[in-house]
Amino acid sequence: MSALAGFLDRYQERESLLHRLDARAKLPAALGFIVAVTFTREGEWLTLALLFAPIPLLVALSRLGAALVLRRSLLALPFVATAIPLVFTRPGDPVFELPLTGWTASAEGIRAVATIMARAWIAVLTAVILVATTPAVELLRALRSLRVPALLISTISFAYRYLYVVGDEAQRMIRARDSRSATIPGARAGRSVAWRAGVAGRMVGSLFVRSLERSERVYAAMQARGYHGELRFLHNPPLPRTDLALGAALVAYGALVQAAAYLR
Amino acid sequence: MTPSFATGIAAGAGLAPGPALHIPDGFVSAPVAAAGWVATVAVVALSVRVANRRLEERAVPLMGVMAAFIFAAQMMNFPVAGGTSGHLLGGALAVVLLGPWAAIVVMTAVVGLQALLFQDGGLAALGANVLNMGIVTIAVGWAVYRIPRLVARDSRPVLLGAAFVAGWISVEAGAIATAFMLALSGTSPLNVVLPAMVGVHALIGIGEGLITAAAIAFVLSTRPDLIPGAAPTRA
Repeated sequence: MSALAGFLDRYQERESLLHRLDARAKLPAALGFIVAVTFTREGEWLTLALLFAPIPLLVALSRLGAALVLRRSLLALPFVATAIPLVFTRPGDPVFELPLTGWTASAEGIRAVATIMARAWIAVLTAVILVATTPAVELLRALRSLRVPALLISTISFAYRYLYVVGDEAQRMIRARDSRSATIPGARAGRSVAWRAGVAGRMVGSLFVRSLERSERVYAAMQARGYHGELRFLHNPPLPRTDLALGAALVAYGALVQAAAYLR
Repeated sequence: MTPSFATGIAAGAGLAPGPALHIPDGFVSAPVAAAGWVATVAVVALSVRVANRRLEERAVPLMGVMAAFIFAAQMMNFPVAGGTSGHLLGGALAVVLLGPWAAIVVMTAVVGLQALLFQDGGLAALGANVLNMGIVTIAVGWAVYRIPRLVARDSRPVLLGAAFVAGWISVEAGAIATAFMLALSGTSPLNVVLPAMVGVHALIGIGEGLITAAAIAFVLSTRPDLIPGAAPTRA
């Protein structure tokens, strides 16, 4: 297996209740719960705490370990920068002034940013648990239960399958470039940024031609096996009622918490 | 794992400074997320239908491998300065190579995979993200790529110039759309987020334009038959 596979495959093999649950129940449940989290209004700390409450339970049930889930949940962190200005621009009670800039942070601004970050974090935690307990193939098949057009699911499934192949090809090209690009420590390497972008661009062009030709070979191979425009999926096993009930329970809990918050 | 491989992976995962347009969940309000879904579902449903009719039974293998290609092309980073690196978003490249309908399906697959499997962009926010990165970039990239070719003949410099500007402007358009969504959600004040996004992506967009044009130049030299309108005038 290539190093790429370690990065692309986020599934963590474990023996747990969450791993055994049908993806057709898990995916809509996670999505519904995340939508419920999205509805949280600013400063609703109790709502956020109640929505966070199932997460430790799910982590324990999944036997993934808190460290793994926490580490992966930090992925969305760089985007936080887009919300930070709100601390200073939202009018309200001044809390502190940023030295040199003359910007004043307001209590309302801090409250808004904290809410956004908490919402984002709970949503990411939910998604991380889903992806770590469900093989990617199952997840893609489960898209059918969300009424995604079959052609789009087939395309996405193909993309996932060939990510490994085309990604490996890309890595070999990057490695080839690196091995031809000797640098002297401290000295400037290569030419201008535009020249470097041009090198990357020609690699992309080369990768395109190789990928397109691969897709033609793949298509020919599929035709040789009797393909005529329609992918056949294995027959779906029946969806266990208990799985569906557990998924529905999570969504119902999220909806109930929000309903209580909005009606209060 | 070599450092460049690590940065390549990081770029692929959206960690390196590249186009920062994958909105996580919680950053868009429920109404904005819902509006994003409505627009995306309508456009993608139409695109899937048209692409399927045009490509017929080749549709799935072609668009699937092309989505994997765009995903991998986003790993092709190049050093800019101070340890940062630029990389591709791919919308303009996809539309030049595949035409608008197939490009929308391909970019939807890319952005969808990134959200579903890699938490790069939110799930509830996926509609908004596909709209910004998969539809707006392609619509604008397509329009910009066409305009100079309405008035000038399809020569190599015209095609490459158009591809460069299309790459640049498409990233700007995606950044503007993202900024407006964040502002409408109350996540970021427009007078801060719009200039910031436009400014940062003006630079990133130049990288996008350069990579897009260089990629098209390579394809023009090796397989001119793959670029619509370029086959007879091989440079």
